[in-house]
Amino acid sequence: MSQKFAIVGRRLAQADTPIKATGAARYAADIKLPRMLVGKVLRSPYPHAKIKRIDKSKAENLPGVEAVITLEDTPKIPYASSFRDLPMAPSGSLQRSDEYILADKARYVGDAVAAVAAVDERVAEEALRLIEVEYEELPFAVHPRDAIKPGVPRIHDYAENNIAVRVGYPLAEGDVEKGFQESDVVVEETFSVTKQVSGHLETQTTIASVDPTGKVTCYSPCQLPFPLRRELAKAFNLPEGMINVVSPFVGGSFGARLSVYNEPIAIALAMKTHRPVKIEYTMEENFTCVHTRTADEYTVKMGFKKDGTLHSMYMKVLTWSGAYLGRAQLAGAITLVWGMGHYRCPNRAGECEIVYCNTTPSAAMRGYGNPEVMWGVEQVVDMAAEKLGMNPLELRLKNIRKTGEPSNFGLPIESSYLEDCIKSGAVRMGWKEKWGKKRAGRRGVGMATMTHCSGAYPLLMEHSGAIVKFNEDGSVNLTINPGSPGTHIWGALSQIAAEELGVYPEDVHVVTGETDKTLFDLGSHASRSTYVAGNAVLEASKEARKQLLERAAKMLDVSPEELEVGDRRVYVRSAPERGISVTEVVRSAMWDLKGECLNIAGKSSFASRWTSPPTAAYFAEVEVDTETGEVKVLKFITAVDCGTAINPMTVEGQCEGGIQQGIGYALTEDFVVNRETGVLESDNFTTYKMLGTLDMPETEIIIINKPDPKGPFGAKGVGEPATVGVAPAIANAIYDAVGVRITDLPITPEKVLRALKEKQSR
Amino acid sequence: MKMGDQMRRMEKETVNFTVNGRQYQLTIEPWLTLAEVLRDYLDLTGTKVSCGVGECGACTVLVDGKPTLSCCTLAITVRDKNILTIEGLAKDGLHPIQKAFVDCGAIQCGFCTPGMILMTKALLDENPHPTREEAKEFLAGNLCRCTGYVKIIDAVMAAAEAISEGGSR
Amino acid sequence: MSQLARLLGFFPRVLRPFEYFEAEALSEATQILSEYGEEAKALAGGVDLVPRMRRRLLIPKCVVSLTRMREVDYIKSNGADGLKFGPLTSIRSLELSPLIQKDYLALYEAAHQIASIQVKAQGTAVGNLCVATPASDIAVALFALGAQLVIAGPSAERIVPIEDFFTGVGQTILQPGELVAEVLVPHPPAGTGSAFFKLVRTAADIAKVNAAVALTIADGICQEARVALGSVAPTTIRARKAEEILRGKIIDEKLINEAAEAAAQETRTITDLRSTAEYRREMSRVLVKRAIGKALERAKA
Repeated sequence: MSQKFAIVGRRLAQADTPIKATGAARYAADIKLPRMLVGKVLRSPYPHAKIKRIDKSKAENLPGVEAVITLEDTPKIPYASSFRDLPMAPSGSLQRSDEYILADKARYVGDAVAAVAAVDERVAEEALRLIEVEYEELPFAVHPRDAIKPGVPRIHDYAENNIAVRVGYPLAEGDVEKGFQESDVVVEETFSVTKQVSGHLETQTTIASVDPTGKVTCYSPCQLPFPLRRELAKAFNLPEGMINVVSPFVGGSFGARLSVYNEPIAIALAMKTHRPVKIEYTMEENFTCVHTRTADEYTVKMGFKKDGTLHSMYMKVLTWSGAYLGRAQLAGAITLVWGMGHYRCPNRAGECEIVYCNTTPSAAMRGYGNPEVMWGVEQVVDMAAEKLGMNPLELRLKNIRKTGEPSNFGLPIESSYLEDCIKSGAVRMGWKEKWGKKRAGRRGVGMATMTHCSGAYPLLMEHSGAIVKFNEDGSVNLTINPGSPGTHIWGALSQIAAEELGVYPEDVHVVTGETDKTLFDLGSHASRSTYVAGNAVLEASKEARKQLLERAAKMLDVSPEELEVGDRRVYVRSAPERGISVTEVVRSAMWDLKGECLNIAGKSSFASRWTSPPTAAYFAEVEVDTETGEVKVLKFITAVDCGTAINPMTVEGQCEGGIQQGIGYALTEDFVVNRETGVLESDNFTTYKMLGTLDMPETEIIIINKPDPKGPFGAKGVGEPATVGVAPAIANAIYDAVGVRITDLPITPEKVLRALKEKQSR
Repeated sequence: MKMGDQMRRMEKETVNFTVNGRQYQLTIEPWLTLAEVLRDYLDLTGTKVSCGVGECGACTVLVDGKPTLSCCTLAITVRDKNILTIEGLAKDGLHPIQKAFVDCGAIQCGFCTPGMILMTKALLDENPHPTREEAKEFLAGNLCRCTGYVKIIDAVMAAAEAISEGGSR
Repeated sequence: MSQLARLLGFFPRVLRPFEYFEAEALSEATQILSEYGEEAKALAGGVDLVPRMRRRLLIPKCVVSLTRMREVDYIKSNGADGLKFGPLTSIRSLELSPLIQKDYLALYEAAHQIASIQVKAQGTAVGNLCVATPASDIAVALFALGAQLVIAGPSAERIVPIEDFFTGVGQTILQPGELVAEVLVPHPPAGTGSAFFKLVRTAADIAKVNAAVALTIADGICQEARVALGSVAPTTIRARKAEEILRGKIIDEKLINEAAEAAAQETRTITDLRSTAEYRREMSRVLVKRAIGKALERAKA
């Protein structure tokens, strides 16, 4: 049961929202620096081409143009846009550096070939038009099945048949073939998922400037400021200390901002011109060049005993990477980890091939392989339930892993309340009354479940550092840099600090947003911030609290163990009226010139050594129009186990947003590349359809709110769980409604109608 | 009927704009959008440019009270009109709509927020007591990728209530 | 469209310079449009033109703004003479017009189902027609309502039925120098009902298929039928064979199905990123069936 907290658990408004509401918050495109130039990128019009010659002389001579650069003008040090040197646990690095600041060869329509810095956008555009590039077109392949065919030219020299890497399931165990033979029911099905676009409204914008000492300042929306700093240091052969990554407000990330984009180009232009340079993408540029969710085709095979026990599981995945690896390499491998780590199963194996193709690279969109794979796994579970004659809810309850069992990452699960999620969601959806009833009006219900992670340990070694210091007015400066992804992480971290320190949330000033000013923090990914950065904040707060109590103890003439802190006061636990304000303690510590002077502050370096995976159950109710094939989601319920909800209002907000993205993934969002030309056809919101207000169903978010032993005040991650199981719940609901199963995303009315007709004719 | 050669071709023009109740005199070319003029000339960066095709509503401002997509509007065509941007909604502190958005958790990354808030103002000016369905219809041209819209509609309803209970419009 | 971006090699963020005029009368506008011919574009709401220019799908040498001509932003009705509106009349004002909501339901529904209030408030109906996309919702409703367009130009005005206005994807009969000066919608005779339907991926989307039907019923018999379909051919179309099936008969379920099937046969659908040729054809039948049913219900009411 959750403890009573003073600050944690409250539905607090976030401190940075008033300035967002008034328009005062500055995002990268809003920032103006003195003498700033506009940078703009020239991109390949061909999906695959050698770059024979670039003549930039006309562009350079255009008045108002300050610099024109090509690959030759940059240090030719390869890097991985997804961070080659992301700290890795002993499992070893799978990353490969396959990019340069500007392309050595054009590998997709949109690949960066040259760049200019000019006094304004119009001159910059004119300059780009004056750059002459001689290309030699090469045969290309948009789809991985085409890219691996013999005779197709290599996109990267090292990758035979364009296969970048083959990966096996790292936690394989048992003997899957034997397991299938021993199973009573075996289900095998093939699925495919699309390159969902993160769809953040703020286009990718970066500003770089170099000061007279050579120190680089880079304003970037990147979710991982310190890894970005390290990657830039490598690319430019600079010491890390000569780069300061600054995080402005960011208009949404969702995993797309994990990668390096226009930062190196902006820096190269700033170095050449000795002026700040801003590169602002258009939305079409965003769609074409910002990394998408990884797409895959995969087969899931699951074998069950007749009592429903899952006995054997195998997956084979073909991952569609794109022109560069981005994060597809890890996403491909992690897909196996999510897919086979959710249920208990003694025999598990899998393989993944990651393929280059001449399209936009793939990265790690929200869920990072988990939504991709649960799309298939949760449908196979329903298919098996049907063969077994079991309610799919019961089949799931039988096989989900429990607290103490190995997690999807192999270490013991610190806490799992997935059973609570399933049961409470089922009640609220009316599962018993609605499922399997073939109701009139073509309505059906479906469910899905998942396990994610709170930080990626032990697959990635990751840590956060925090500093907590008291000011003499009783307020606290909390220095932490989890990145600025546009979630409300600072608010949660402030609540954690305030709870521990006995002050109010508004007393916590968050100092963040610059790598120079903050301790190392990996940044925002893998739903790690509440759990890992939160624990760092808690540790630092504990240290500061300890010092506060020690000082107060001297002032009150008691021992520190007798003291408690809350409501901005330090007081004797057994005699609360005996106390002193936090302000007085700190003021005395800082300004007691006659006595002992000290700072009251704490510092931490925290690395997670456990796995506290968040879990969730998703329930969808749909109505299918059998004449048009249209699917309407009537109601969607997400029941989430994210430990203690530091701020239930923001947890709900994450889940509601995750439903919008999940339903889009399921029904309406499709990344369409023309296979004849390699050109992206769905390159803005006109063609790529995300849900608006009228498309959302009625939603309900259930927060189980039971604490995890290792999370800060019991919290686990929630950002990605918000969306992982939405699509398969809908697929399963459609099957319940009209008996057809769609295995390739998105579920369009065209596909549903076709499936209904095929079913009728059988 | 005027002859064509008497129609003046407009080039760089010095024109008046009234933005958030303040008068500005600017010399601008006809091919500048209203979004460019607000953001780059007046440093009113609260109005955001996102899709640039009128599909997302992030660039919405109110021109004589009418919702207007500033990225699809040539600035010169709205000279001498009253333009309201997000910065002009409240003189000091927060307008009840802004406060409702803050209190209801309707703001995550904040990029869609100025457009959402101005559409809310336009809605409540026209219909002070909307139903949830009417609120959704009115904001159907504003995309959000963070919130799923749930708390945004909550905020619109809360703002309607706050304003009708005596807050300023 | 992305072809062009591909050929440019970069993504344009701002408009290129152009020669700019502001007309204070339609005659001024047509004058400039005549002088510049194909190289000039008229600007009304700008919701289609400005983004198209930004994306370099159109690079006009000259833009003639109609935006100062507030007097052509009107909706007028003369009762028996029907409805008229001008080139600056916004789609939203059509939607909000009590007259249109009462007597021209297909037009109301077409306007209402365009989801974005901003697009409707700023975008004009005439502008929408002149873009001449076969997916236009306004066009398909006006086809069903038998609208006519008054075309003004350097020579005399002419009136054309809307069915003659579109000649291909993005193509109209407007000659250089011509503008649509007014849209006339005849007053529906007693016993008329109309309806509009469309299918979309999300609410704020261009139609996959759209359909509008207007029926006039007297003494239980269909006196007049107009069946219009959009997004199923290079232009908006009237499904004439379907109309023939309905005219002069008592409309029952069997007849509706027959007419709907005939309408589907009259389409020339394509596959694109919104839908497939096969689905659009099949949905033409479904939407026409639904629209006939609804129009009939309204005609009898």
